[in-house]
Amino acid sequence: MAERVFITGMGMVTAIGDNVAENLQHLRQQKSGLGFTDYIDTIYKQVLPVGEIKLSNEALFNRAGIPVQGGFTRTTLLGLVAMLEALQQAGIRNLSKEPTGFINASTVGGMCDTEKVYFDLINPEKEGDFIESINTLDCADCTQRIADTVGFHDHIATISTACSSSANALMFGARMIKHGMYRRMVCGGTEALTRFTLNGFNSLKNVDKQFCRPFDNQRTGLNLGEGAAYLVLESESFARANNSTILAELSGYCNANEAFHPTSPSPEGDGAYAAMKNALAMSGHKLEDVQYVNVHGTATLNNDVSEGRALERLFGRKVPPFSSTKPFTGHTLAAAGAIEAIYAVLSIQHGIIFPNLNFSEKMEELSIIPVTELQEGVLIKNVISNSFGFGGNNASLVLSKYEG
Amino acid sequence: MKVKCYIQGMAAISPQSTFEGDITNMPLVRTESNRLACIEPDYKPYIPANSLRRMTRILKMGLTAALKCLAESGVSTPGPIVTGTGKGSLQDTEKFIKEIEQYKETALNPTPFIQSTYNSVNGLIALQQQGTDYNNTFVHRGFSFENALVDSMMLLQEGYTHTLTGGFEEITPEHFYIKSRIGHWRTEPVANTDLFNQELPGTIAGEGSTFFVLGAEANEHSIAALSACKLLYKPDPMQLTATLRELGADADLIISGTNGDSNHAHYYHLLNNTLTQPSIPFKHLCGEYETAGAFALWLAASLLKAGTIPSALFPMVQQLPSNFKKIVIYNHFYGEQHTVMVVERV
Repeated sequence: MAERVFITGMGMVTAIGDNVAENLQHLRQQKSGLGFTDYIDTIYKQVLPVGEIKLSNEALFNRAGIPVQGGFTRTTLLGLVAMLEALQQAGIRNLSKEPTGFINASTVGGMCDTEKVYFDLINPEKEGDFIESINTLDCADCTQRIADTVGFHDHIATISTACSSSANALMFGARMIKHGMYRRMVCGGTEALTRFTLNGFNSLKNVDKQFCRPFDNQRTGLNLGEGAAYLVLESESFARANNSTILAELSGYCNANEAFHPTSPSPEGDGAYAAMKNALAMSGHKLEDVQYVNVHGTATLNNDVSEGRALERLFGRKVPPFSSTKPFTGHTLAAAGAIEAIYAVLSIQHGIIFPNLNFSEKMEELSIIPVTELQEGVLIKNVISNSFGFGGNNASLVLSKYEG
Repeated sequence: MKVKCYIQGMAAISPQSTFEGDITNMPLVRTESNRLACIEPDYKPYIPANSLRRMTRILKMGLTAALKCLAESGVSTPGPIVTGTGKGSLQDTEKFIKEIEQYKETALNPTPFIQSTYNSVNGLIALQQQGTDYNNTFVHRGFSFENALVDSMMLLQEGYTHTLTGGFEEITPEHFYIKSRIGHWRTEPVANTDLFNQELPGTIAGEGSTFFVLGAEANEHSIAALSACKLLYKPDPMQLTATLRELGADADLIISGTNGDSNHAHYYHLLNNTLTQPSIPFKHLCGEYETAGAFALWLAASLLKAGTIPSALFPMVQQLPSNFKKIVIYNHFYGEQHTVMVVERV
């Protein structure tokens, strides 16, 4: 019998806070992190809102406790800030005491910094310090710099499945624990805003000039965001022997591909339906045991129809309270799965359902509407967290209250 | 991870004639420059013409190797699709970066952005084959393909009958230049066949797309068995020696990732000192790239199936063993990601 997997530490940085407590506070205060960018060099500076973390790279070096130096991209620095909090919360001071794997997620690696010097990199006439950033072009760079800074030296991996990347990182880590390969894994993702991704999504006509309105009939697209989040996963036997503080259980998960279209979900949400259904079945819980769904809810025209239909198909007339937290953080791509997994744990720990900001009008294709007011004092035992991406990559996680 | 699984089908697009050819009578393709390019097959039998026009090079190479692999293995559905790639579609990434600049961020064509996404090949295979199972893409330099293997071995343990598992990489002239600035390649041209004549800083670049169908049980399609895949991140010599001894002591053939690069050759010297069995290289065939381990696995399985090592492909090896049942592959990527695979005759 495979071991249960528990969450024993969490760390994060998003547009609504530099740590988990600040994120919770701003979720409660319904304070969105969306606004205009200070750091991206783009013609859309005052046009397209983003969920930017208002800390310069210098400030992030400071938070990460390391001197300002070359080769550390914003992706890496955000990851380090979140990682330090996760390890601290789990009480991990020395990673050598227990073999611990690290599964990271990223969609464009260090693009945030390399895009600024790319034309120098390919120009033989240009020389300078920028050359040391060559290795930051790929996705493994941030993972290894984080690993080397905090001392991971066991299994490491980087996953890139677009917007479901860090949900898949959590899943991969949990499975390694269940297979008995490790007793402890740290999993999540990091994503910095880039001109590359902003223009990418804008070229798809998927970006809203207003603050995004998930599940609203008038929604016109997403706002990008940046952030990082990591969760410490431990096997039940290790967590007990180690006297770890158990925050929640990662009780179910599913990765399913939709095989419908390179970037669009199917109108009936086949992939989302399969991912949620199978993740819930794995958790051993029934439909009526789910008190909250933290939806992917990007506010693109297609996602919300597809995900909404999947919810209606799975839950019938009894769709649980659901909301998208993207209007708080923006869509943080590879980091979204881990950020929202932490929000799910906070929901369970504090009995809160977060409001879906900016909603006003029910979608004509759906009969359901998201939660629009903050709900406190709710008994929440099971939360489904959805992350869906390009390439038909769908992932759902089930986070459950730890009851011994 | 130590679990036995079976290679039920495979296909490789590489700088050698691996896609159509039979390893026993394959010529060694000689390249004088430091950049080995894939011999691309005719894609038309695999991809409809209207799709082909839109697809960039690595998408075509990835999808085609995957489709041929599925056809060879006799499975009707791909099952879980798990891949590794260090760089994804470089061509699309380069194109989109340039178009952002050129068109001043306006009226951009989204296609290169979509195709630059690292999981686009996976999505394409799923779409074309209606593969709605598990789907994952690892993007960690010299651990990309090997993590895909570990994931696949876990999936087979979890009850899937088979997986489609692959690695793919391309090298563009632009990226070749970029990596030359940090000493990845030899500064003077060296032919692939002369790569091992002397150890000097840097090596030769390569690329490839290699796919496998891995099964939980042996069947009539089984080409070879993969019994272990171990990843070591920046190991110290003690750790590396211990792992090589543990997995390789009873092997009768070693496939070494040696690439003539004096900066990181000491690991391959350690291999030779630790495991003294007959050893053959493979980087003269495929060049150096993040997922070259997939090519090495293809080579190991091909040799086990053929039961012989064709001397035409290994002119630099004095004596080739004629009888071998268990092969150990050791490879590392610029000294950071070290991997050991064990491949056995079925």
